[in-house]
Amino acid sequence: MSTRKESERIELLQGTLDLLILRTLALGPEHGHAIAKAIEFRSDDVLQVERGSLYPALHRLIKRGWIFVEDGTSENNRRAKFYRLTARGRKQLAHETSKWEKLAGAIARILRPTGERE
Amino acid sequence: MMRRAKRLLNDLDQEIREHIELATQENIDRGMTPEEARHAALRKFGNVTRAKEDAREVWSTVWLEELRQDIRFGLRQLRKSPAFTTVAILTLALGIGANTAIYSFMESILLRSLPVANPESLVVLNWHSQPPENGNKEWVHVMHSVSGVAWKGDNGAMVSGMFPYGAFETLGEENPVFSTLFGYYNGRKRNLAVRGQSTSVNAEYVTGEYFRGLAVLPAAGRLIDSEDDRPGAAPAAVISYGTSQNRFGGPANAIGQSILVDNIPFTVIGVAPPEFFGVDPAAAPDLYLPLHTNLLVDGAGTEGMYRDGNFYWIEMMGRLRPGVSMAQAQAALAPRFQQWVAATATTEGERAKLPALMLNPGAAGLGSLRRKYSKPLLVLLMMVGLILAIACANIGNLLLARAAARRREMAVRLSLGAGRFRVVRQLLTESVMLASLGGAFGILFAIWGMGALTFLLSNGQENFTLHAELNWNVLGVTAALSVLCGLLFGLAPAIQSTRPDVTSALKNGRGGGPRRRAQYVLVVAQIALSFLILVAAGLFVQTLNKLHSVQLGYARENILLFSLNARQTGHRDPEIATFYTELRKRFEAIPGVSSATLSHSSIISADRAGKTYRGPMKIGAFTFAGAGVLVAGPRFLTTMQIPILAGREIDERDQAGSTPVAVISERLARTYFGNENPVGRRITFLDEKRDLEIVGVSADLKYGGLKEGSPMTVFVAVSQSSPDRVTYALRTAGDPLRYVKSVYEIVREADSAIPVTNVVTQVAEIDRTISQEVTFAKLCTGFAVLALLIASVGLYGTMSYNVAQQTSEIGIRMALGAPRRAVVWMVLRRVLILAAVGLVISVPAALIAFRLVKSFLFETQPNDPGTLAVAGVVLVSAAVLAGYAPARRASRIDPLAALRHE
Repeated sequence: MSTRKESERIELLQGTLDLLILRTLALGPEHGHAIAKAIEFRSDDVLQVERGSLYPALHRLIKRGWIFVEDGTSENNRRAKFYRLTARGRKQLAHETSKWEKLAGAIARILRPTGERE
Repeated sequence: MMRRAKRLLNDLDQEIREHIELATQENIDRGMTPEEARHAALRKFGNVTRAKEDAREVWSTVWLEELRQDIRFGLRQLRKSPAFTTVAILTLALGIGANTAIYSFMESILLRSLPVANPESLVVLNWHSQPPENGNKEWVHVMHSVSGVAWKGDNGAMVSGMFPYGAFETLGEENPVFSTLFGYYNGRKRNLAVRGQSTSVNAEYVTGEYFRGLAVLPAAGRLIDSEDDRPGAAPAAVISYGTSQNRFGGPANAIGQSILVDNIPFTVIGVAPPEFFGVDPAAAPDLYLPLHTNLLVDGAGTEGMYRDGNFYWIEMMGRLRPGVSMAQAQAALAPRFQQWVAATATTEGERAKLPALMLNPGAAGLGSLRRKYSKPLLVLLMMVGLILAIACANIGNLLLARAAARRREMAVRLSLGAGRFRVVRQLLTESVMLASLGGAFGILFAIWGMGALTFLLSNGQENFTLHAELNWNVLGVTAALSVLCGLLFGLAPAIQSTRPDVTSALKNGRGGGPRRRAQYVLVVAQIALSFLILVAAGLFVQTLNKLHSVQLGYARENILLFSLNARQTGHRDPEIATFYTELRKRFEAIPGVSSATLSHSSIISADRAGKTYRGPMKIGAFTFAGAGVLVAGPRFLTTMQIPILAGREIDERDQAGSTPVAVISERLARTYFGNENPVGRRITFLDEKRDLEIVGVSADLKYGGLKEGSPMTVFVAVSQSSPDRVTYALRTAGDPLRYVKSVYEIVREADSAIPVTNVVTQVAEIDRTISQEVTFAKLCTGFAVLALLIASVGLYGTMSYNVAQQTSEIGIRMALGAPRRAVVWMVLRRVLILAAVGLVISVPAALIAFRLVKSFLFETQPNDPGTLAVAGVVLVSAAVLAGYAPARRASRIDPLAALRHE
């Protein structure tokens, strides 16, 4: 569904991918390909998940105990690995989300044109 | 954790394939051709290999990174409590250092190989046979005489490395299993004269194949070969590297020089390499001579020993041919030896006890050091092992107390989601760090300890050959030991403090029962182990006391001893007797010397050293053995302050031509003459067919060593014997060693070629024979003090901590009217109970364990009740002392403050 032009796509910031994976998995367990697709879909294809960094990121999250891996069956009936959020992962997601919101808000306030101040 | 990572990474390939498969399918669904779809999917995924590597890296760095974190955190923790850290490291350093020092000695005698090429293909030839004494104590064996030692093997068998020369020749013929078979024969002390300067050196006679068989290369010149070792060859000698430096100023200068060995001219043909010490780590020869030159040095009369099939004197080693195992060699040679030795037996009794050949590994050389020191060192190693165990228990205990303080920290970390394993690992990292620091400082202690131990063990021996060193093997063991200790003392506290009852800990931060129980177990263990060491020390000190209180019957103090061997510089009978007598008179004339005498050796080693009669004797109708013969010069009894009970002592009147005389000791006189006067009666040395007239009776004295010495002594005149080496004794006013210079001057005047050897005071000469007992007593006393100290610190720490924990309980008791006395008693009672439990465990253990050291004890039983009692009292006193300070502190608690604190 690469409908947008290349120039409008944004490479993910270092570390943001982890947050987005956690957020995606908060909706339910998914396999790798589906996670990447979901992120792209939900960002209207603005965010591009570099597939090469997806799996190392997943492993990093497993290592930290935020997600774990289980065997399942993909949509076309093939065996696949499904990633699922742990309780600690959920906690971490909440923590990271509020941090992100603070950061985003702060940056937004700085970037807002002076005239538009309420 | 690592297993999970491995599985994930293994499955990653498959997972990525699936991923691309799915993407391809989607692209096809969107209308691409299968080929395009696959290309697009691959392009979109990017570099697969890179992705896999990145994933692997995620896992590989975890372990190291966490370790680095743990170490940094651990260092911070150790810095935070410097007192604890210092005590722990010091205790460990002592424990590990002591273990390293003792182990380094073990290593040097048990594990180190000879410094020659391929030592592992060397084998030592021994034989074993049934014990030669049968039921009625008669000696029946094909070995009629021996020059060397036999020792006890398994099942009471007799084992020896000495063979008749015929066996050496037979085994050497067309040998299919050995590439070389070589022999050697202890040449003992020789007088080596270089450019007119004489010293006494250790010589070794070696066969022509010796150096070739050992595969040793000369430091200079060439080594002895088969051409040098035949009767009539030009006398050639190889000297040790050390001798070349001391006597010639370097190996190169020595080559071709003429030397005199016991007055026989030899030419130095080569110098052995610096690291070479022969085949016996217990001996380091200074001089190697071709075997057959003993015909020159010891006289042509020795030629008979090459033909006597019943005289055992030559030792052998062989080098296995490549690919031949020791078992194969044994199988090939045993029948050959069997056949040869059977021909030397002449009676049924001898045939029944024929020696059988036995090959042993020769990589480490001969086993004399192993036989002498391995058991004492094993005992010492066990002692220091116990000390280290006490140290570990102690630190474990301190850590438990500290774990209580860190319980909240742990609970917080656990509740924040740190895995329990992760926290335990962090705590273990901390304790292993502590142990490693202890090990590092321990090496310093070890270096000091090795020096001290070498000094103690050598105890004045001239050429002490047991050299311990800190090599990689020893350091590796030390490192492993440190890590092991860290895990040992760290594991219990780590598990204890991460127990999962997180919530209660978070609530009040106070520890519960299990930890206190663990602490008590550790304290009891320390007390039990300390008791073992205390008893050991007690037994060894008791042994030393018994040895020191042995009635010698002769003077210890103010006697100077030294030895001369005039025969080695060419003095012969009968002139040698006059020479020795003249010297005695000159020594007696030294101002300050009240009397001088000579004998075949010092009294304490009379049964082992020097040439004297050792066979059966006869008085009247009685034949007996076991009386010691002392070859003595004039004024011997006077000099040694042995009372003369009847008749006279040996004096100047007794000459080579006059009536052979003897003086006997009181016990001997009473046993065979009853109340009759023995003076004027006769005693016969049966083997020598020598008849002596008894001219006097001396008081009893201990002939020979303190432990095994005989109470019966026969003195015979030195002028009527034919002595080689004699030992002079000078009775001096003041320090005997002050007269050494005068002695040297007199000897040089008489014959400048004779070296004066074994210059020593009588006290030191006696102490030398019990050096092992002295060492054990000193070391074990030190160990006991150390153990007691560590255990006391442990007990003190535990009780202090308990009192601090029970502040409020004690406060309530006191508020309810409990007197201070009762509080003190409450704490002390607990100390006493702990000590009692420790003793109850330890006493049976001590009774069993100390049977092992029975052979080290003298007139002391391993279950000596006195020693056990003293050790118990010392231990309980130390425990009470350690517990008193916390008890007092408990009794000073202010009830109001304590309650408010809660």
